[in-house]
Amino acid sequence: MVEMELKRDRIVIRLGTKKWEWVLEPRYWRNTLLWAAFLMIAPAVAYFYSPGLINTMISANIYAAIAMPLALMTIGTGRMNFGPQFYIGVGGYTAALLSIAYGWGPLTTLPFAILMSMVAALIFSPLVIMARGLYYVLLTLLLPLVFLEVTFIYTDIFKGDTGLFGIVPLLDTGNAKNNFLLIGYFSTAIMFAYLWFINKILKSRYGLLMASINDDEDVAHSIGININKIKIIAFVAASTLIGIIGWFYAHYFSSFAGITYLPLTFMLKVLLVLMIGGRAQVFGCVVGGYFVAFLEMLMIRFMGPIQPLLFPIILLILLFILPEGLFGLYRKRRYREYLPTIHVRR
Amino acid sequence: MAPLVKVSNLVKRFGGIVAVNDVSFEIYKGETLGFIGPNGAGKSTVVNCLTGYLPATSGKIEMNGVDITHMKPHQRVHMGLARTYQIPRPFPELTALTSVLASSISGKKRINQSFQDAMYDATHYLEFVGLFSKRNILARDLTFYELRMLELARALATTPQLLFIDEVMAGLNPGEAKNAIKMIRKAKEEFGITVFWIEHVMAVLMEAADRIVAINYGSKLAEGTPDEVVNNDDVIEAYLGKGWREYA
Repeated sequence: MVEMELKRDRIVIRLGTKKWEWVLEPRYWRNTLLWAAFLMIAPAVAYFYSPGLINTMISANIYAAIAMPLALMTIGTGRMNFGPQFYIGVGGYTAALLSIAYGWGPLTTLPFAILMSMVAALIFSPLVIMARGLYYVLLTLLLPLVFLEVTFIYTDIFKGDTGLFGIVPLLDTGNAKNNFLLIGYFSTAIMFAYLWFINKILKSRYGLLMASINDDEDVAHSIGININKIKIIAFVAASTLIGIIGWFYAHYFSSFAGITYLPLTFMLKVLLVLMIGGRAQVFGCVVGGYFVAFLEMLMIRFMGPIQPLLFPIILLILLFILPEGLFGLYRKRRYREYLPTIHVRR
Repeated sequence: MAPLVKVSNLVKRFGGIVAVNDVSFEIYKGETLGFIGPNGAGKSTVVNCLTGYLPATSGKIEMNGVDITHMKPHQRVHMGLARTYQIPRPFPELTALTSVLASSISGKKRINQSFQDAMYDATHYLEFVGLFSKRNILARDLTFYELRMLELARALATTPQLLFIDEVMAGLNPGEAKNAIKMIRKAKEEFGITVFWIEHVMAVLMEAADRIVAINYGSKLAEGTPDEVVNNDDVIEAYLGKGWREYA
């Protein structure tokens, strides 16, 4: 069975004829730990000074947690998916409908939300084999919009015009402020879990195979990579991770309306998180998530009515002057990894 | 001796155009088989059919007695076929080392190979082709000769039995070309591979190949030792035209 062996700088894991090595590099952990500590302390500080900020942090964490699987999907399939919010819709509506119909709590609805997102992703996964380039973009762009129409057409089920209400909340301690703090930590935990998991995948052999598929699919096939398998796995896994965010939204707000998440405006925000942080870099998604969420909050507070117009313009200017993204600037100065940065080509 | 690869009656049509018409030949273990023909004769199409890039319209391809006609490219790589491209196709955003690492991981299945073990493997192949000092350079920043060598390292890292080399001399200067030929010979000796070599430059194959197959308009013209093939009237006619005797 599984054999584990601790060596000086690595853990060697063996299973049958397979072997993995997990290299431990504590000297590289310092910055990551410092930032993690900062993100863990920030909600507690905000709790005493400005509880409203916790809400912004939750949005930031969740934006990052949507952008990270999207980055994984983009690299793993070699294609840019423009409709990840479809899976937020699938996960969210599954959780919301089950919770309202049967009064189920978040823990009971979670497996169903995961299952439904996975099934939906499997149904649409042939797209990554059949379509490429612009056709893939168009097809994935259409999916959430069609789903949005469906919520309006079958409004007696999905309540497309008013949204679904009365979902069992995620946490209930009896004190709204405490709820906020706990949910803040929960969203940070989700974000960190995604960050760890996706970074681990991208740094492993599967990440390298995905990077080569992202670079040139045909050549990747000709060096012996089963590209269809890898693309479908990356697509389904990432979609499922995004579906879990839908579940979070439904139980966090105790209400779920497709019109909030399914239109293009929400996708634009996610896309900007991905690009502002640094093209499809997982650590960049966290930077981008916090940047976009706080910018949005400041704009709403100080710009008032022109905010919806100004917000995308500022972000577009930033995209123009910061092509590598915010995390790219940091990486440029401190380049120390043996694996290269993975850029998105299509 | 049983052939390593046996191609029987291979046909490939693109709509109405017959690119490969009823070609049969055998590749024996340990030999260097040259494959020649004028421009547009169907050489690359044959290689694409053999490596699974294009599905054959009809015919049969066997490797070690196993029918591989309908296998996907990655399955054929796992069987022991590897190829290089006529125009190098590197992974532009990966470094030289990681490009080779990718094929070391994904090539023929090796047991007990971790990511780090594959990295040692990859360094060995890079060192073999003389690119070790360029290991951390992005593939898109390498020169043309280095890209050719990277392609070779990438193909060797899948541990093939049979290596398809598609016009290795194109675009190289005489010095580089000499090195490239030396490298392929060395690879053949060191890794015990069989080489299937497509080439335009006859002089190279005269020197390097054990046997040569010549094709024109998708059909086989001649097969035999280099001397036999270059003295074959059909082959000379295919290259020089019908009236070549008048000008000879």
